[in-house]
Amino acid sequence: MSAENTLPILILAPLIFGGISLLLRSARGALRFCAAGTLATAALAGITAYNVLRGGPAETANGWLMLDALSAQHLLAMITVFCLSSLYALIYFREEAADGRLTPKMAGRYGGLWFGSLAAMMLVLVSNSLGMMWVGVEASTLMTAFLICIHASPGALEAMWKYLLMCSVGVAVAFTGILLVAAATGPAGLHGMDALLWTTLMEAASRLNPMMLKAGFIFIVIGYGTKAGLAPLHNWLPDAHSHAPAPVSAVFSGFLLNAALYCILRCLPLVEAATGNEGWGRSILVIFGLLSILVAAAFIVMQRDVKRLLAYSSVEHIGIMALGAGIGGAGAAAALFHLINHSICKPIAFFCAGRIGQIYGTHDLPGLTMIIRRAPVWGAGLIISLLALVGVAPFSVFLSEFLVLKAAVDHSLYVVAALFLLGLGVVFIAVLRHIIAMAWKPAEQQAGPVKFSLPEALLIFIPLAIVLLLGMWIPGPLLKILSRAAQVLGGLS
Amino acid sequence: MIILLDTLLVTLILTGFLLLGSSRLGASIRISALQGIMTGLLPLALEHGDLFSYVSLLGVAVIGLKGYVFPRLLFSALRESDTSREVQPFVGYMASLFFGILFLMGSFWLDTRLNLPVHSSSDLLVPVAFSLMSCGLFLIVARRTAMSQVIGYLVLENGIYCFGLAVVSGMPLLLELGVLMDIFVAVFVMGIAIYHINREFDHIDADRLSALKG
Amino acid sequence: MNTLSILNLLAGLILAPLLPGIINRTKAVFAGRHGQPVLQTYFDIFKLLRKGAVYSRTTSWVFRLSPVIGLAAVIAAMTLLPALSAPAPVSFAGDLILFAYCFGLLRFFLVAAALDTGSAFEGMGASREVQFSALAEPALLLGLAALARATGSLSLTGIFSASAGPSAGPALALVSAALFIVFLAENARIPVDDPNTHLELTMIHEVMVLDYSGPDFAIILYTSSLKMWALGALLVNVLFSFLPLHGPAAVACVAGSMILLSVLVGIVESIMARLSLLKVPQLLAGAVAISVLALTLVLRFTS
Repeated sequence: MSAENTLPILILAPLIFGGISLLLRSARGALRFCAAGTLATAALAGITAYNVLRGGPAETANGWLMLDALSAQHLLAMITVFCLSSLYALIYFREEAADGRLTPKMAGRYGGLWFGSLAAMMLVLVSNSLGMMWVGVEASTLMTAFLICIHASPGALEAMWKYLLMCSVGVAVAFTGILLVAAATGPAGLHGMDALLWTTLMEAASRLNPMMLKAGFIFIVIGYGTKAGLAPLHNWLPDAHSHAPAPVSAVFSGFLLNAALYCILRCLPLVEAATGNEGWGRSILVIFGLLSILVAAAFIVMQRDVKRLLAYSSVEHIGIMALGAGIGGAGAAAALFHLINHSICKPIAFFCAGRIGQIYGTHDLPGLTMIIRRAPVWGAGLIISLLALVGVAPFSVFLSEFLVLKAAVDHSLYVVAALFLLGLGVVFIAVLRHIIAMAWKPAEQQAGPVKFSLPEALLIFIPLAIVLLLGMWIPGPLLKILSRAAQVLGGLS
Repeated sequence: MIILLDTLLVTLILTGFLLLGSSRLGASIRISALQGIMTGLLPLALEHGDLFSYVSLLGVAVIGLKGYVFPRLLFSALRESDTSREVQPFVGYMASLFFGILFLMGSFWLDTRLNLPVHSSSDLLVPVAFSLMSCGLFLIVARRTAMSQVIGYLVLENGIYCFGLAVVSGMPLLLELGVLMDIFVAVFVMGIAIYHINREFDHIDADRLSALKG
Repeated sequence: MNTLSILNLLAGLILAPLLPGIINRTKAVFAGRHGQPVLQTYFDIFKLLRKGAVYSRTTSWVFRLSPVIGLAAVIAAMTLLPALSAPAPVSFAGDLILFAYCFGLLRFFLVAAALDTGSAFEGMGASREVQFSALAEPALLLGLAALARATGSLSLTGIFSASAGPSAGPALALVSAALFIVFLAENARIPVDDPNTHLELTMIHEVMVLDYSGPDFAIILYTSSLKMWALGALLVNVLFSFLPLHGPAAVACVAGSMILLSVLVGIVESIMARLSLLKVPQLLAGAVAISVLALTLVLRFTS
């Protein structure tokens, strides 16, 4: 199977699966079908990405669908997140399905929306046209909005409304940016339907109207930045993350934000090429990235809710990725490496936090004590993944953050490097304080440890082992993927 | 045709002012419907009488959606919610109107500064688009009820639509359909969301949705 | 100064008290009543002139002086007003500002006199009058500025004798709408103020002149009619500035349109309720917004 043939199937398959899961009449069945369908899509996506990485960019449907190294790398991160989350959903919803809190109808709807958002994000990654990419982002907003309030509690409704409104407005702003990009094609003589194809635009980059393109890029960064959770446009993010069911939070944090950031990254080389590689577009990303890191650090210090803490940590990590891409060169490769690390680590943290929340009945940090003894797998998983996320040494997150820092120093951006270190330091101390309290603060009332099964332990600890391994040794193929993807970003040449 | 086009554009600005100053939800919905119809008529006025072109069909579709479907959806949501019919502003009507005036002047200033390559026959189109977009954003920020925020979102979309008419020549089919489809879905979803929010809280007051902080 | 402009001024001075009569007759017809005579305002003025005046002990010279100054200010404003292409008796560059501020002077003395009486009702009325006119004045001035910019002339005579060109059509329509709202507000008509109200608490204009009697009140009544004529004639001028009328026909057209305008006001008063006091500033701010829009459009088209 060549990559050209599988690209359309990648979008169609989840849509079909979604339609089927709406018809299922059993909660457990729907959840199982979800996992199976996601794994099947993931296998197909894996083969496609492999072909692209071996054989170069694939284009099909008159150039409307395209997969190159950058999108293939994102695709791999996405299927990882979706596979882990769909497997975890089996565990997370087990009790709810058993005692009827999750009705078969709700589970069917959950499956439909799950595959719908998978298809929407897939559309973002495989479409070559900036317009279709936008349609994908908007569709993923609408799909995931309902995933937040599978259980219609007041908090979940509020979170959904905030998310829907802020992201709809953000995406509308991004659309204005796309209109400006389309207007910028005037001098290049591009017409009609092909004017917004990314590959066409890149070829004609030197002939585009640079002023219009700059204006368009600002709108695109602000618009998609809202969806990506870049500060100061991140207000919806902690609410949506903390009120969604844990598998959904994992998808939000692990890939939804990255999908929006991906759209910004797509436009970055375009602006850079059209404005003569002066680093104008990059400096915007550096500013937003640094701001996100610092704002997230400030909020993490005051946090009392574990899921909100993880959400702000996502703001921080998206900031690190934007910063790395903004620095450029080796920084871009480091940012993409960071994306992979974050997409493995953060879902695990949300999985553990979600189960612990179910066991303790609260997400309040002061109430979560002695978590390793009470829930060995989930407690240890949460603490290890949090340690990995704040950048403790042997984990790969440390490595990628270090590479971003090194890139900043290499480009003589000393102020940027200093602020970056400051933000990381504050987060490190603040989270470490919470980790110590969760692990060793004596509990007010003792309860026996919760039983766990082998699959649960495997689901948590295999990904964490991979993160640990990546911190010490990056396999050659991965290095190749990263450098090829960074080339697309105009980084390493 | 210039006079027709200018009259439409001026009416669009006036509907923006009306929305900023109106205090009843029902009236706001009707005004936004009128604004939608005006927006839909714009491409017809721009096309110089070519009634059966693709652009005209698009205009007809916009009129149908914004002038009929959305208002009906919003009205049914309003009926079901059975709550206060007041807009409940954070910023008073007078202050809102003055903000509207500021937006208008700012839009004209911005337009002269940007000097966009515009394809349309009226040089009012871009400033009107900017002014509608800012009005829409202001309505979203400065109104308390979920319903007025939806209306603000519609005004924002109308502005973007005008902007698209002004700057994009040839108009890629898929993009335009994308706009229509998405705002349809967006408002539909928001309507359902209002219903849910109402069922859960007995009101459609997004302001009281403020338990989540920090 | 020619005979035509004198004729125009005289028409205003003589016919002005007719306007309230026509408005009242229109309202009576709508309500199915017979109504008072059309000439009732004339009868009132003559009756009052024959009576003596009573002055409260708390009032000072301000109270006695203000009716006269008000009358002088309005007549001064009327001398600046042309009838379409027929020039005004007096005209110079910038007279439109004098025109606007003649009404400012009138209002200042009316308010000063109302405060001079020391009565709580009149103080309240004065406060409202000032609040509303602070919003009506920008609308009037911005509208006049739009007209000046559209025609490139700074005098009222110049504005209405020059043709603004078809591209200014929407702007002229907007200015007319704003001026109509200003006209209703300045003349204390529904929906801003109800001249027939019987409750002092809800009055604005009427409550300020409660303490006047005899010839002073006659002057006040006449001043009000003249003010209505002057602002109405301004509106009529804007509306019909595109008509190619000259000589006596122009004067006749303005006078005739004034009658129609009063009928229109009567209809508005019959079919609308008075706005609540809190809503009035909103209406006037709307008028300001419309004027700003007109000015912006004109700036756009002439630059």
